[in-house]
Amino acid sequence: MAGTTALKTTAAPTENAPASGRVSDPRQATWPVLLVFLAPALVIYLGLTAYPAVRTIFDSLFTIEGSERSYVGLANYRDLMGDETFWIAVRNTFVWAFVAPVLDVATGLLLALALYAGVPFARFLRVAWFTPVLLSYVVVAILWMWIYNYDWGVVNEGLRAAGLDALTRSWLGDPNTALASLIVTHAWKWAGFNMVVCLAAIHALPSEVLEAAELDNCGWGAKLRYVIVPMLRPTLLNLYVLAFIGKMKVFDLVWIMTGGGPLWATETVSTYVYKRAFNWNTFDLGYPSAIATVWFGVVCAAVIILNRVFKSRDRLEY
Amino acid sequence: MRRAGLGLAFTFGAGLLAAGAAVAAEPVQITMWSNWPDEPAKKDWVAARVREFEATNKQCAVKLSFIPKADIYTQAKSAVRTGQAPDVFYLEPDQPEFLAGGFLEPLDGHVDLAKFEDWAKPAWTYKGKVYGLPVEAYTVELYYNKDLVKKVGVEVPPSHQLTQAGFADLVRKGAAAGITPVSQGVGDRPFPGGLLLFESLLRKLGVEDYGKLLNGTLSFKDPRVQEVMTWFKGLVDAGAYPKSFATLKLGESHYYFYQKPGALTFPDPSWFTGRAFASPESGGMPATFPLGIMQFPAMDDGQCPTCKTLAVAGSFVMYARGKNKACAGALLDSMATPGNGDKWMEQVSLQTGLKSDPAKINSSHADYFAELNARNKGATYFFGTPLLYYRSKCAETYTQVMNNAFPAGLIGVAEAADKMDAACRKGS
Repeated sequence: MAGTTALKTTAAPTENAPASGRVSDPRQATWPVLLVFLAPALVIYLGLTAYPAVRTIFDSLFTIEGSERSYVGLANYRDLMGDETFWIAVRNTFVWAFVAPVLDVATGLLLALALYAGVPFARFLRVAWFTPVLLSYVVVAILWMWIYNYDWGVVNEGLRAAGLDALTRSWLGDPNTALASLIVTHAWKWAGFNMVVCLAAIHALPSEVLEAAELDNCGWGAKLRYVIVPMLRPTLLNLYVLAFIGKMKVFDLVWIMTGGGPLWATETVSTYVYKRAFNWNTFDLGYPSAIATVWFGVVCAAVIILNRVFKSRDRLEY
Repeated sequence: MRRAGLGLAFTFGAGLLAAGAAVAAEPVQITMWSNWPDEPAKKDWVAARVREFEATNKQCAVKLSFIPKADIYTQAKSAVRTGQAPDVFYLEPDQPEFLAGGFLEPLDGHVDLAKFEDWAKPAWTYKGKVYGLPVEAYTVELYYNKDLVKKVGVEVPPSHQLTQAGFADLVRKGAAAGITPVSQGVGDRPFPGGLLLFESLLRKLGVEDYGKLLNGTLSFKDPRVQEVMTWFKGLVDAGAYPKSFATLKLGESHYYFYQKPGALTFPDPSWFTGRAFASPESGGMPATFPLGIMQFPAMDDGQCPTCKTLAVAGSFVMYARGKNKACAGALLDSMATPGNGDKWMEQVSLQTGLKSDPAKINSSHADYFAELNARNKGATYFFGTPLLYYRSKCAETYTQVMNNAFPAGLIGVAEAADKMDAACRKGS
């Protein structure tokens, strides 16, 4: 008994001390306090992210016509495996996701290097190159539809002026060039964002290393290849992964510029889901939910794989 | 004191009664979504009908919104599921999923259906009941520039119908003269590229077999269909359509036809007038434009040279779960008068599914109406355009193949027929 009393007596001041510390240290906060702070974010997350995702997976097991729903099990998934248009959309989306980010990041890096090297009018160019990032997809799409216009678009007019009439074409109307034309448009829009991130990363590089390279008579090309790009590797890979995730969901630009045509040449998984949900004279949300569920899994898997593949094993020390 | 109390109670009671009367007089508000935000004549017609209704029905108020068609469809599809749809909204008969889903209220108990043209009712009849107020109706016409056609050396015969070879000759001569033979673009619409081919197929096959083709019981590999498609491919290869066909929008194709650079012909439903009769500054047709209407070409050995497509388009429907059906029904009934049909034709210069009296129509475009009526005289009508029949994958294939790739010259006759049969042929 005496021992217990002694323990309580000695414990009391110790309990009191953290109590005053809790006020300033959020790691010591009690559950009710934590819940007060977490609740708004939790409610928004559960209501606007988790519930729709779970509900989409649930709906994919049904055929939902109007207000009637009938359980079909995995039938929607079986149909999906034999859906030719879905596979065309998957192929196109993979082209977007793997090829376009390379273009995005390379363009961003080149622009950043140009600014870092101090091209004339750098201050103006930095603003000009970043401006497309601020434009909405609708504006960008309309602008580039004008640029690609067969009759008076600047691309074809330029080719005609250069005597290359044979190369003029309906860039968005030709299945051979439509997807590439969209990818170029997308790269134009996001080059400024990648440029800003790359420029910040370049400025954060340790000056001693760059100066040492210069002392060793390292030329610009070699410095870029052996010093700058390796040191920017984590930044470039992060940009690539971010762009990859964005491209796996690409919708707006495609929808406005080509609607997935011609002949499904620019159809992506997102435009196909939208068409099946809203453009196919049916209220059935089951099948589009199955497509969305499959793609959700594919995106998650792809991001995990990319993270593992790109995970840096050799940490740069400088 | 007791008197004062009585007086106070009386005053209080009178106040309550007055307040009650005020509450009773508060009109019931219904919501209405209409298309045509960018077509002033149609927008004015709808707004005027709503104002007239509100003036004579003080118990009802209408919150009217004009929303582009694609947005209405997208919003309505979400709204009907959640019970948030407007009491009255715009719809066309090519959206049967609203009917199949049970989201529309039959108009039979709300509107005097005798005020509808008999030919317009089937477009909105489902399981024996009528569901839509058919405001806008149209025929598919072949407009042309009289001066340019004459300039390239083609004489339109008194029948106003060229032969199959005659139309091909027109296309070749136009292309040789550097004038686009057919103004058309599919940048923002799923159907214009199919107009010339399918009107030609109708004239070749006749009403019955054309119906079979659209219903999926006749193959696109039928020799007659193949013959027309081969002729059409010849037109495409001769340069019938603008090079910017894939991205040219409907509004731009109007401008292309009558403003710049100018084209010989323009296949378009007769709602052509909605844009063409706007002022030239707003992209409309110049007052001096030499507009003519010819028949689509007569096919060799065609079953029905006088056939043409008639269809119902912009209509208004009631939401089945609407809470104010009395007002919504009264609004639609008030719109469906012959007088309003006359006003529609006067103001919009377009046919209507509401009954009307042509004798009472006083239009500034009387010449146009006279020519349109002349082209429709003696016509044998087929009801509905392809997209009224095609659904789901078939409709998508029509959009991608017949509307776009085939007239754009991207694929040949055999491949186009294969794709259409695979998607649309029953039992395939």
